[in-house]
Amino acid sequence: MIRFLIRRTLGAAVILLIISAITFFLFYVAPRDPARVACGKVCTPQTLNLVRHNLGIADPIPVQYWHWLEGIFVGRDYSSFGHCSAPCLGYSFQSQTPVLSLILDRFPTTIGLSIGAAVVFVIFGVGTGMIAAVKQGKALDKIASSASLIGSSLQIYIVGIIAMYYLSDQWHLVTRPNDHAGFTQDPAAWFGGLLLPWLVLAIIFTANYTRMTRSQLVETLSEDYVRTARAKGLSRRTVFFRFAWRGAMAPIVTIFGIDLGTLLGGAIITEQTFGLHGIGALSIKAVRDNDLPMLLGVILVAAAAIVVFNIIVDAIYAVIDPRVRLA
Amino acid sequence: MSLSRRNFVIATSVAAGGSMVLSACSSGGGGGNSTSNGAGTHTYTGHVTVGTAQDSQGPAPEIQGAVKGGNINGLSPSDFSHLDPQRIYFAWNSALALLYVRCLTGYKIAPDGSQKLVGDLATDTGTMSNGGKTWTFTLKDGLKWEDGSDLTVEDVRHGIERGFASFTTEGAQYLQTALTGSADFRSVYKGPYDGKHLEGVVIDSAKKTITFNLKTAQPQLNFILAMHSYGAVPVKHDTKEKYDKDPVSCGPYKLAAHAPDKSLKMARNPHWDPKTDPIRNAYPDSFSFEFGVESLPESDRLIADSGNDQYTIMAYNGVPAERIQKVLTTPALKQRTINGLLTGLYYYAINCKRITDPKVRQALNYAWPLEQIRRIYGGPSAGDYATSVLSPDILGYAHQDVFGKLKKPQGDTAKAKALLKEAGKLGQTIVYTYPQGRESAYEKTKIVIANALKEAGFNPVIKPVDSTSYYDQVQQINNQFDVMWFGWSPDWPSGYSVIQPLFDGATIANGSNNVSQLNVPWINQAIKQNALITDPAKAGDAWAALDEKIMTQEAPIIPETFQRRFYLHGSKVGGALFDPNFSAFVLYKLYVKA
Repeated sequence: MIRFLIRRTLGAAVILLIISAITFFLFYVAPRDPARVACGKVCTPQTLNLVRHNLGIADPIPVQYWHWLEGIFVGRDYSSFGHCSAPCLGYSFQSQTPVLSLILDRFPTTIGLSIGAAVVFVIFGVGTGMIAAVKQGKALDKIASSASLIGSSLQIYIVGIIAMYYLSDQWHLVTRPNDHAGFTQDPAAWFGGLLLPWLVLAIIFTANYTRMTRSQLVETLSEDYVRTARAKGLSRRTVFFRFAWRGAMAPIVTIFGIDLGTLLGGAIITEQTFGLHGIGALSIKAVRDNDLPMLLGVILVAAAAIVVFNIIVDAIYAVIDPRVRLA
Repeated sequence: MSLSRRNFVIATSVAAGGSMVLSACSSGGGGGNSTSNGAGTHTYTGHVTVGTAQDSQGPAPEIQGAVKGGNINGLSPSDFSHLDPQRIYFAWNSALALLYVRCLTGYKIAPDGSQKLVGDLATDTGTMSNGGKTWTFTLKDGLKWEDGSDLTVEDVRHGIERGFASFTTEGAQYLQTALTGSADFRSVYKGPYDGKHLEGVVIDSAKKTITFNLKTAQPQLNFILAMHSYGAVPVKHDTKEKYDKDPVSCGPYKLAAHAPDKSLKMARNPHWDPKTDPIRNAYPDSFSFEFGVESLPESDRLIADSGNDQYTIMAYNGVPAERIQKVLTTPALKQRTINGLLTGLYYYAINCKRITDPKVRQALNYAWPLEQIRRIYGGPSAGDYATSVLSPDILGYAHQDVFGKLKKPQGDTAKAKALLKEAGKLGQTIVYTYPQGRESAYEKTKIVIANALKEAGFNPVIKPVDSTSYYDQVQQINNQFDVMWFGWSPDWPSGYSVIQPLFDGATIANGSNNVSQLNVPWINQAIKQNALITDPAKAGDAWAALDEKIMTQEAPIIPETFQRRFYLHGSKVGGALFDPNFSAFVLYKLYVKA
C-alpha cells in the first residue's frame, strides 16, 4: 500500500508539472497580450514595455516558467510587493495579492459547496438507486428511473436561477445563496447560505448515482455468488448488504472520486450561478483578466484535486473489493 | 471617464445583449429619433456647459425629500479593478471614485441630466492664458483628508506627479504628454519618489495656487483635470503600489472594508465638509457592494425587492434581455428604473487603407441596415440611431444626418448600388469582422449586414474574431478587415475627445484607436486648429462642423447607435439619477427613503 501511494504521488507530481507547463506555454499561444490590460486607453510601446516589466513578463517564456517553478520551492522576490515565501504560486497583479493566499481564501467556499453537495447527492442517489433495484420493475422503480432521467437532463444554470427565483426571492423558503459566513463563525448561516446550491447540485448529480447504483445492483443481484449466498440460506438483508451492495459500489466510488475532485477543483457554473466566491469564480476571473499566475494557480488546484482523488479512489478500491490488491 | 478597452467590451455586452435599455427618454438631447413614451424616473437633456465660480461653491443643492442615514447596497458581477486614483480609467472605477477622490474640477449633474463643469477642489474651472499653454487653479479653503489633515496644493501636485510613476500605467496620459511635450513622458520625468518635482507644475502654498505650464496648448485642460487619474493624493500617506489597496479619502466617504472580488464597504468621512463641495450630496451613512452577482440573479433580486434588496441598486450591469419585458410591462417595476444616453458611440470602422475610394465608404453608409441591427439589439430601447460621430451628450452637439439614416434606417441599397456603380466598384468584396463569443446579437446582426451589402452590390465576407483578442487584432495596422465593429466613449464630453483619437492620422500605429486608419491632411490640420480654440462654445461648434465635413467627404466610419443604459433599483432607494459619463447611478445623490 505504501509503495503504491509513493509511486502514485510521484506520478501525480509529474502530471501536475506537465499540466503547469502546458498551461504556461498555451497561455502565450493565444493572440492576446496580458500587458494590454494595464496599459491604459492610449497604449504607447514605451508604456507597454513598462507594463511587461512590471508584470514580470518581459523575460523569455522558458525563463518565466523557471522563475515560477523556483518560486514554488524557494519563494520569490517582487520589486514592488516584496517577498512571496515558498510555496509561492506567483503574484496576481490584477488582484494585487499572492495567488496562494487568494486560493486559500476561496477554498473554504469550494470545500463547503462540494462536500455538502456530495453528502446530499450520494445519500439520495445511492439510496434511491438501491430502492429502485430492490423494487425492480415496480412503480417505485419506474418513478425513480424517470425522475433521475429528468434530473440528469437539467442544467445548473437553469435550475439554479429558477430555484433562486421561486424558493428564495418569491416564496422565501430558503436563504438566498451566499458565502458571507464561514463554517466556524456561524454554522447556521453557513448552512443556510449553501443549502440551495447543495440541493440544486444534488438534483443534477443524484440522477447519475441513482441510475448507476440501480444498474450495478441489478447486475450484481443476478450474479452467481449472490444466488449461492441466498441458496445457502442467508437472509435477504445480509445478502444485499454484504455481497451485492459491496460488489456494486466499486464503480460508484470511482465516479464519486472523480466528481468530488472536479467539484473541489472549482464548480465554475454553480459558483457563477449562485454568486459564490470559490475556486470556480476565481478561475473565471483569471481568464477574464488574462491573469496568468492566477490561472496557473487555479488550474493546478483543479488538477491536483482530481489526481489526489483518483489515488484515494484506487486505495479505497482495495478496501471495498477484496479482489483488488495494490502492489 | 472612459469606458476604455476592457470596459468597452463589458459595455458592449450590456448594450448589445438585447433590450438593455428602456425606450427613449432623451427629451431634448437632440437625438432626433427619440419617441416620447418616457420611461424610468428621470428625463434627460444631455446638455454640457462650463460653470462659473458661483457654480463651484458648495454645498450641492439639496434633493427634495432626501434624508440622511442608512446604507445603499450595490450589486455587480466584478470588483473595482483599481482604487488608486492614478490607476483609474474605467468608468466603473470612476463611479466609485466620485465618493472618495476629488480632482481640481468635476461635473455637477442636474436632476434633468444636464452637466456643468465646475471647480471641485478648485474655486472655479481655472484661468487659462498663453493660448491654452498656461492654466492656474486656486484651492478652496477647508479641504481635509480623512485623518483631518489639510489637503494642500502639494497633495494636488503629488497626484499629478504620481501619473508619471512606473506603476501607474493604467491611467490617463493627456496631462503628462502636454506637460512634457512627449508621448514618452516617463523618459522626461519619473515621478515624485526621488524627491524631484515636475518642472511644468508650479505651486504657491501661501496663495494655494497650482499653475500648469504646458509644452503644448490644451484649452480643454479643465475638462481633462476632472479625470480621476488626476485626483489628489496625500504626500504623507502615499504608499505607492499599495495605495491601490488603501486609498485615503478627501470625499464624503472613505474605504471601510474590502474583501477583493467579494465585497467593499464605504463609510462616512467625518472630515469632508459639504460647504467645499458643489457636486456631492452624501445622504446615506454608508455604501456596500457585493461582487460576483451575475446580471440575471441580480435582476431577480431587485424585481423581488425583498428585505435588504429594497435598498439595493444595480451598480454596473443593466437589466438583462430576459427580464426587460417583465420590467417594461410592470408599472411598479418601471417606476424603479433609470435610463440614460451615454457620451459614447457604437460604430463600424471602415479600413481606409483598404477601402480607399470615399464613394465606396459612402455606399457602405447608405446600405447599412441600422433598423434591422437595432431591432436585434432590442429596438429603440437599445439606443438612438447615430447619425453623426458626436453624440447628443457632447458639448456643441448639432444634429445632422449626412446619409439620411433617419428617413431610411433600413438602408438605402439602391442609392448605395448607384454610388458603387459610379465608382466602378460593383461586386466589391467587404471583409466584415466582429467580436465572436461574447454576444449572440452579433451572430444575428452579421446576417442582416451581409444581406444589405449583397443587395447593394457588395460581396460580403464575414470573418469573426474571438472576443478575447478582438481589439488586439483589429488594431493592427496591417489587418485584413474592411469593416470592423467598434465603439468609442470619450474621456470628457467634447468633440476633441472623440474626433482626435479616432481620426488624427498622426496616431496611426498598432494599438491605435484610429481603427479606420484615416490619414487626411485637411482633417489632421482641422483637428490641430480646433484643439486650440479657447472658447468652449466656439470649439463645440467647430467640432460639430468638422464631424459633418468628415462624414460627408470621407465617411471613414458607419455610425450605428448612441448607447442607452437601463438600470433597476430597490423600492427604498431615492434620488436615482443616471451619470452619462460613467454609465452608472450617481452614487452621491442616492438616499434611503424613510
